[in-house]
Amino acid sequence: MTAVARAWGRLTLPGKVVFTVVPLLALLVAATVIGIAVFGGAVLDILAANIGIVRFVLVATILLLAAPPIAFVIIYLEMKVIALMNLRIGPDRVGPWGTLLSTVHGLKVLMKEDFTPTGADAVVFTWAPVVVFTASILSALVLPFAPGLFGQDFSIALLYFFAVGGLTVVGLLMGGWSSFNKYSLLGGLRAAAQMVSYEIPLTLSVVGVIILAGTMSLDRIVDQQAGWLGDWFVFRQPLGFLVFFIAATAEGNRTPFDMTEADQEIVAGYATEYSGMRFGFFFFAEYINVFILSALTVILFFGGWHAPLSLPQIELALDPGSLGIGLLFLVALAPVVGTLLLGAPFYLLRSATKWWHALIIGFALFNVVVVLAVVAWATISFDWAAGLVWVLVKTFGFVFLFVWLRGTLPRVRVDQLMGLAWKWLLPASLLNLFVTAAAVVLVGG
Amino acid sequence: MTTATGRQASADDPRVMLDEQIGVFEPVPPYPPRTEREAEFYTLADGELFLNMGPQHPSTHGVLRVVLKLDGERVVDLDPVLGYLHRGVEKLCENADYHQAICYTDPLEYVSALFNEWAPVMAFEKLHDVEVPRRAEYIRVLSSELLRISSHALFMGWMALDLGGLTPILWSFIERDEIVDMLSALTGQRMLFNYFRIGGVNGDLNHDFLSRLGDWMTRATAQHEANLGLLNENEVFVRRMRGLGTIDTRTAIRMCMTGPNLRATGVPFDIRRAHPYSVYPELRFDIPTRSEGDCLARYLLRVDEIRQSLRIIDQCLHEMPDGPVMAKLPRLIRPRPGRAYAAVEGPRGQYAVYAVSDGTDQPFRFRIHDPSFVHLQSVGLLLPGNLVADTMAIMASLDPIMGGVDK
Repeated sequence: MTAVARAWGRLTLPGKVVFTVVPLLALLVAATVIGIAVFGGAVLDILAANIGIVRFVLVATILLLAAPPIAFVIIYLEMKVIALMNLRIGPDRVGPWGTLLSTVHGLKVLMKEDFTPTGADAVVFTWAPVVVFTASILSALVLPFAPGLFGQDFSIALLYFFAVGGLTVVGLLMGGWSSFNKYSLLGGLRAAAQMVSYEIPLTLSVVGVIILAGTMSLDRIVDQQAGWLGDWFVFRQPLGFLVFFIAATAEGNRTPFDMTEADQEIVAGYATEYSGMRFGFFFFAEYINVFILSALTVILFFGGWHAPLSLPQIELALDPGSLGIGLLFLVALAPVVGTLLLGAPFYLLRSATKWWHALIIGFALFNVVVVLAVVAWATISFDWAAGLVWVLVKTFGFVFLFVWLRGTLPRVRVDQLMGLAWKWLLPASLLNLFVTAAAVVLVGG
Repeated sequence: MTTATGRQASADDPRVMLDEQIGVFEPVPPYPPRTEREAEFYTLADGELFLNMGPQHPSTHGVLRVVLKLDGERVVDLDPVLGYLHRGVEKLCENADYHQAICYTDPLEYVSALFNEWAPVMAFEKLHDVEVPRRAEYIRVLSSELLRISSHALFMGWMALDLGGLTPILWSFIERDEIVDMLSALTGQRMLFNYFRIGGVNGDLNHDFLSRLGDWMTRATAQHEANLGLLNENEVFVRRMRGLGTIDTRTAIRMCMTGPNLRATGVPFDIRRAHPYSVYPELRFDIPTRSEGDCLARYLLRVDEIRQSLRIIDQCLHEMPDGPVMAKLPRLIRPRPGRAYAAVEGPRGQYAVYAVSDGTDQPFRFRIHDPSFVHLQSVGLLLPGNLVADTMAIMASLDPIMGGVDK
């Protein structure tokens, strides 16, 4: 008991909150499940009546759970791609080709001391990463990843996206202001100036798309781009896309516009005094922002879930039921046979490989094969799976572009950054808007 | 002197730790101002703030500390605080005999150590009237020009890194690594070579070094030009560097600038031509100059110098004479009383040594003139009026090495 009391005493305030709230939530979920089991229909009726709320909670949970893995993948991608551009090897120690390194980084960040500097405004300091992270997650809520696969389909989804995404700057400013550090202060102020300036061209550049599509619902904007490559909005709004992408780079604080965390100038900007998981939240939010901005680019300009060419339809006539009892044998035997078949070459071709090493390799390979097979089957069979695959492929193409920029370009100066926003991007986006509007009026959309 | 909060500030005062809550660190010295300049600098006008940059900062090239007085993002004034890397090299050299003194000078400008050896060696040779074999002189020129390339390549990388580019620094390190590897085959060390001796060099050229050098020379020019593509044609890089930290010829001469920083303002002053030493009169090379005097000119000038160094290395390899690499000298030399001054053209400028002998086996006085230190004094002229982001770029373009600044 003393050990528990001591452990409790050592917890920080947020730790105490987490350790109280999480068990309570677990109890709540358990109670809900038991309630559904016991009272059955009545509870289901209530849930069905409030399907909007249920959907929101479900989607928010899924996004929160999906955010760290996405961030891990992008961080690993960035480390590896920049390493290759630098003629280095990059991460290659943890996991195959170093793929687990970012996960281990995440765990490390989780275990580090949660440090609040003396003199910092503790409340604001604690909440700043939460605001930044939440803003990113909330703006992801409206992104349609596939037909039917979205959190909420507002009629003002685009407006909501920019409104909630703009909250990020509040978090950055909170972090910069409350850290009691001049580097943080400079970083926070830079963040405010930069993001407020770039919100304008970012928002104006998509107005052309809104005019063309006649709606702000992202779902229907994607629907307007159905067909082949030529129907994507990027070919009807090339200038809009250019302005949008540059402004998105600045909005996501990516090189060459990463003023807010310019480590050669202001150490780490707003994140200078942060450590542990608070820094982790900033870090995750940055990479999730990269993902979200890439996804939005894809949705607005690159056809969303539509394939670039209309692919021939493949019909799979799979009827597992017809196998009868054979299905059971297949499910039981396939892993064993697959493991043995895939592991055998490793055992036979290299005498130093022990048999159990070969078995482990075979099992891992079998899992990979099964996952690939399931993905392929789902892609062929379901619209939403194919759409998800296309969105992810295109999105990671843009993530790669962001990483490529980071590997190549130095940073622009603060006044050059502002000059670009106000002297070039804003007139360009206005021009794009006028030309689009005139064309729609003259040609009739 | 009190801090902005009006409290007596002293990190040594235990009550500060115990009773009071520690405030924000104001980089104000804990003693009353000693000069008018100090009093003026450490008084804040309305809307200004101090930013203490360094000694631990990602891009101060070592342990330089600069107290910046900022108005928003613009630098109003600055106060460089030196001495964090002071090791008393001059005094150490005065307490060592002539041979031992050379290795103390190695880590001064640690990215171009051979030049740090060359100046004292030349001074001691003048003191003792030593005739250096011609082959040794050629080897000195060859190895030090290699190191000049390595140092300039590293400069280009740091320059880009201080502007936020991640890739060029690693490309430069690849170039530097190849050079340093071949020098380690020649001298046995990668960084602090301790290769030059009074009267010659420590060892003759060996097969390992020559094969690496030959291999490298076949692709050095192409590799150098390929590396440049990432920066010279980069709009962001060029736009940030052009017109930044401009210094005119008169001011540059008044600030005692030498080397690439002076030549970037249009003065073709190079010790190798102005006060020829070693075998440089026999070698054909140009002295590149530029007239702009800004950061871009300083950068491009170093790019040109790499090309000239490659020319010199090529000639050295073709004209290398046979013979001994070391003059016949006693183990312990005792020069006649007298004084000697020797200057070499280092990658950063004039690196000079002034040595006084009193007839014993140790130098009576040993004084080092270091270009990094001299160039660093002009940041006070160049920085005010620029943005915080440019302070690092301007400082990097002067290419100071803190090991040499603090001695």
